[in-house]
Amino acid sequence: MSTEKKDKKIALIGWSLQSIEAIDELKRPFVVVSLPGFEEYAKKYDIPFIGWDFETAMKETPMEQVYERSRELADILKQAGVEHVIPIFEDTVEWAGALNALLKENPREFHHSLLFRHKAKMKRRAQIGGLKIGIFEEANNRAEVSEFLKRVNDVLLKNEGDENDPIHIKPFDKAGDVGHRVIRDPRQIESDLTDDQFPCLMESHLDGSQFSCEVFIRNGKIKFLNITEYVEFGYSMMVPPSPEIEKKRPMIRKAVQQLIDSFEIENGFIHPEFFLTEDGVINFIEVAFRIPGGNIFDLIAESYGFNPFQAHILCCDPNTTEKELSKLFPNERKVKGHTGSLMVYPRVNKIQGLVVPEELENHPGFNKHTMFTPEDRKVMKSEGFGSPHGVVYFHHENPDHVKQPLMDYSKYDFYI
Amino acid sequence: MAMQLNHSDRFEQAFERLKNAKPYAKKLYQNDLFQEANRLARSYEGVQKLYEYADQFDQAGVFEGGPWEDPSKLQPNLVNLSLRVEGIESIVTLLSELRMLAIAQGKYEHGELSSEMAKSYLNEVMALNLDYIFPEESEESRIESSKETDRAQNLFKLIVDEMSLLAVSGTLITEIKRLTAQRPIMVNRILLMIDKAEQLLHSDVDEKERKEIQRYHDATAELTKLSEEHPKFSDYRKQLQELSEEELTREARTFGESMRATGLVSPYHVVLVRHLNSSKSELLPTALNLNEKGAASLAEHQSVISELIKVAIHIPTRQSLYGLARLLERSVLSHHPVIPGLRRLIELDVQQDVRETLLDAFAEHDGLTANNIMVAGVLSVLGQPLGIGQGLNPTCQSARAISLWSIHDPGYLLEQIPRAARDGDINMTFEGESIHSKNLTGGLAPELHEELDPVSLILVPHLDRIYADMMRRVQFRGDDPHKWVNPAFYGDWVPKGFGKVFDQLTQNVTDFNGFVRLFYATHHPEYNEGHELIYPNPVGICVTTVYGKMLGFHAITIQRIDQDANGKYRVYFYNPNNDSSQNWGQGIEPKVQGNGEKEGESSLPFHEFASRLYAFHYNPYEQGDPSAVDDDIVEKIASLARESWGQEYTWTN
Repeated sequence: MSTEKKDKKIALIGWSLQSIEAIDELKRPFVVVSLPGFEEYAKKYDIPFIGWDFETAMKETPMEQVYERSRELADILKQAGVEHVIPIFEDTVEWAGALNALLKENPREFHHSLLFRHKAKMKRRAQIGGLKIGIFEEANNRAEVSEFLKRVNDVLLKNEGDENDPIHIKPFDKAGDVGHRVIRDPRQIESDLTDDQFPCLMESHLDGSQFSCEVFIRNGKIKFLNITEYVEFGYSMMVPPSPEIEKKRPMIRKAVQQLIDSFEIENGFIHPEFFLTEDGVINFIEVAFRIPGGNIFDLIAESYGFNPFQAHILCCDPNTTEKELSKLFPNERKVKGHTGSLMVYPRVNKIQGLVVPEELENHPGFNKHTMFTPEDRKVMKSEGFGSPHGVVYFHHENPDHVKQPLMDYSKYDFYI
Repeated sequence: MAMQLNHSDRFEQAFERLKNAKPYAKKLYQNDLFQEANRLARSYEGVQKLYEYADQFDQAGVFEGGPWEDPSKLQPNLVNLSLRVEGIESIVTLLSELRMLAIAQGKYEHGELSSEMAKSYLNEVMALNLDYIFPEESEESRIESSKETDRAQNLFKLIVDEMSLLAVSGTLITEIKRLTAQRPIMVNRILLMIDKAEQLLHSDVDEKERKEIQRYHDATAELTKLSEEHPKFSDYRKQLQELSEEELTREARTFGESMRATGLVSPYHVVLVRHLNSSKSELLPTALNLNEKGAASLAEHQSVISELIKVAIHIPTRQSLYGLARLLERSVLSHHPVIPGLRRLIELDVQQDVRETLLDAFAEHDGLTANNIMVAGVLSVLGQPLGIGQGLNPTCQSARAISLWSIHDPGYLLEQIPRAARDGDINMTFEGESIHSKNLTGGLAPELHEELDPVSLILVPHLDRIYADMMRRVQFRGDDPHKWVNPAFYGDWVPKGFGKVFDQLTQNVTDFNGFVRLFYATHHPEYNEGHELIYPNPVGICVTTVYGKMLGFHAITIQRIDQDANGKYRVYFYNPNNDSSQNWGQGIEPKVQGNGEKEGESSLPFHEFASRLYAFHYNPYEQGDPSAVDDDIVEKIASLARESWGQEYTWTN
């Protein structure tokens, strides 16, 4: 299970072949800590591995108690010569924080990690740091949601009978879009919300285009800033974004630096999301301290020609030298075309077949897709967006040849 | 071509990325490779391109972590099904077979599997996949004709090119026999198989098989010494004039016997028959190897036959010679309207589009007119009513109609052909209303696959639309539309009683046991009080795969019910797919010979047939006591049905 050799090892918390490949190629000593289910695979291919049942541990442990719960694992990692741990997925961020805190005897690291995991703490910290955010409150029950909806619409001077401005409900600690609900009508509070969504964050609604940033940080400064346009939220994204968003890069960079400063991030990688309102104001939505979903890293790799998985590890690893980093990142402005991905979710309950239209494959922007008719024809319902059944990739110098098909095919039924 | 190049470049890139990845990370790059392989395999050239990489597949990790990783563990009998599966499985299987080919051909050395072992594996795979090597027109291939099938055919073309069919020659001969036993009108697939088998003659094939192959080959080529010595048709024709009566008789007998033994016609046979027709007509019965009835029919209608030979029997249309012989033996010419009906076709003014279709159907149609082809087609259809096939079209109903009319109402058939060929229209009356095909669009096969006999080419587009229209008119009546459509479409002799398995509204299987009892009480001679089946009965069956899984509904005709040599009752039926001895799973395999089948018939033991039946017509005045049927028999049939196609449906009582 653990290795005898005592060196400055990195522990990756979470199973990701891309990250394993990246750290292996970097020739960094490492060990993967993940669910026991991966042990067999790791053994087969000699991947250094420590099995740990996070699933049970998470169920039993409220977020705030993760620090105490991590002591045993921290000892094992210490034994194995681990100096620093890097979280891969959202739900291991606070575990990584706790482990780093224990390994370095610095409890602050744990509390710091919670800022990325608790949506209300996150908002409050951002607000203290002066970032522009919508109004928000925390709710423990449906009555408080109802009050918030009323108060928001009251100050927007909505009269009885006018359509309400919606509010957003997000459970504190769910990953990505899981548990996100939009409430406009008070009746939805009963029908759409379930008990396990409390406590939650409530926030006012903002209009505009949504984008995310992928920020590689060293010594509190941005080493590389990627901007990803959410062409259709949850379905498609493009790197780099359309010229309208791209031209705001300096402003976006400022907001991101402000975020880094207010969250006091030294080294690492963050994935914040913002709204760009029509009047050009950048609003902060939320931030994560892990690899983004939706194949964004693949898009970055294709458009900028570096390996973001390696960059992620290098930025997180305190032992990385300045020299290693300087070779890594290209000029943000020197881009090899726009890259987009369309995530495909079947809209049928049982898949009969796969249709990939010839016009798509012949489209100038088409690069590749990953779809095959699945063996299991039943489509599982999942919370949030879940894992897509396939991804279509586009790549072209002209953003229109990427963005247009992303929009055109978002309604297309590939699975029938 | 640029596209093609692009695909192979893209494959190479994906291949390099996979090859350079660490073993644990192969997974990340396999999908891209499979996608590109999938694109390439759409063409034969693409499969060849893939084969160039096949010796490096293992090293690159193409199969890493999957069930195909170790070739020594692969099973030949799984290949056919795997290649059909939509999705990754079929493409990985294709790549795995290419790796096997590389091992067999010594392009790649594998630690666990020798070249010899790979060869014997592939030989078995070829024997089990003749349907890909010689694409057939069975119901199964028609329904499942897809990208997967196209790719598999490209794969096997390469395997056959690289290896040899030698090891499968036995299987190949069995297949040729099985297909010729059914005496189909269209013999393209058989000729292709004979052609492939012939290539084996140059290799080390065993003596008995060599003789068999030679026999089939000769039947389609230089069968006699004279034709061998004078392979040019014009020389052969000249030499015929030099023969003594005795020699000519021998020549005629040899061709006649071969044709009747194989159902295949040699082009020299045509030259001979045309020669005899003009100068030695008394030898025609020998040249056609006619039985007494046939010879009598020929003698009675000498001048008409002579004219028909002149018009219709040409080298490209040579198969119609077999049809002519069978037609004479069926005494079809004694039906009053047949002779004038045939005469009318000789001079018929054929519509331009029909003319083009007919001429296009024959590659070497130089010197032929559309009328020649049409009359030749009619001879085939009248001589081989059970040899009519639907080809690759979902038009079993129309094929079945042509077959039924050819048997029972040739005069009616000869009315429909000129209506379609000359007027571009066919009309039928349905419940008092006239339906004209020229006013209809659509049908089941708006784009007909044109590998069909000439009569089908003329009629099927019309019949198909009329049938579809009749079905449309009664689809909401709350009972199976066939109940009303079949008698109107096929003819009034289709009885009005109708038994069916499915509830029209729910599509549930309802009272299956009652259905089986009714079928026995109306069709089984031991239960139906001895009423004979006088007219063929158009029925519906559920075709199942070799694994007993539902494949689709299919229209066939019960020709007769009789005891075989062992005294067991069998249902003898006509299947318009021309490949009637498929394996339907559960040990149910329709046979085409050896159980008392007539040419073109398939047969199954009565209870096995009943287990696939879902609808039939019966005469309510001719039925026995359904309750007399043993519970055991009914239960046995019900479980065969329930465990096969029945799994797709809800069963209620």
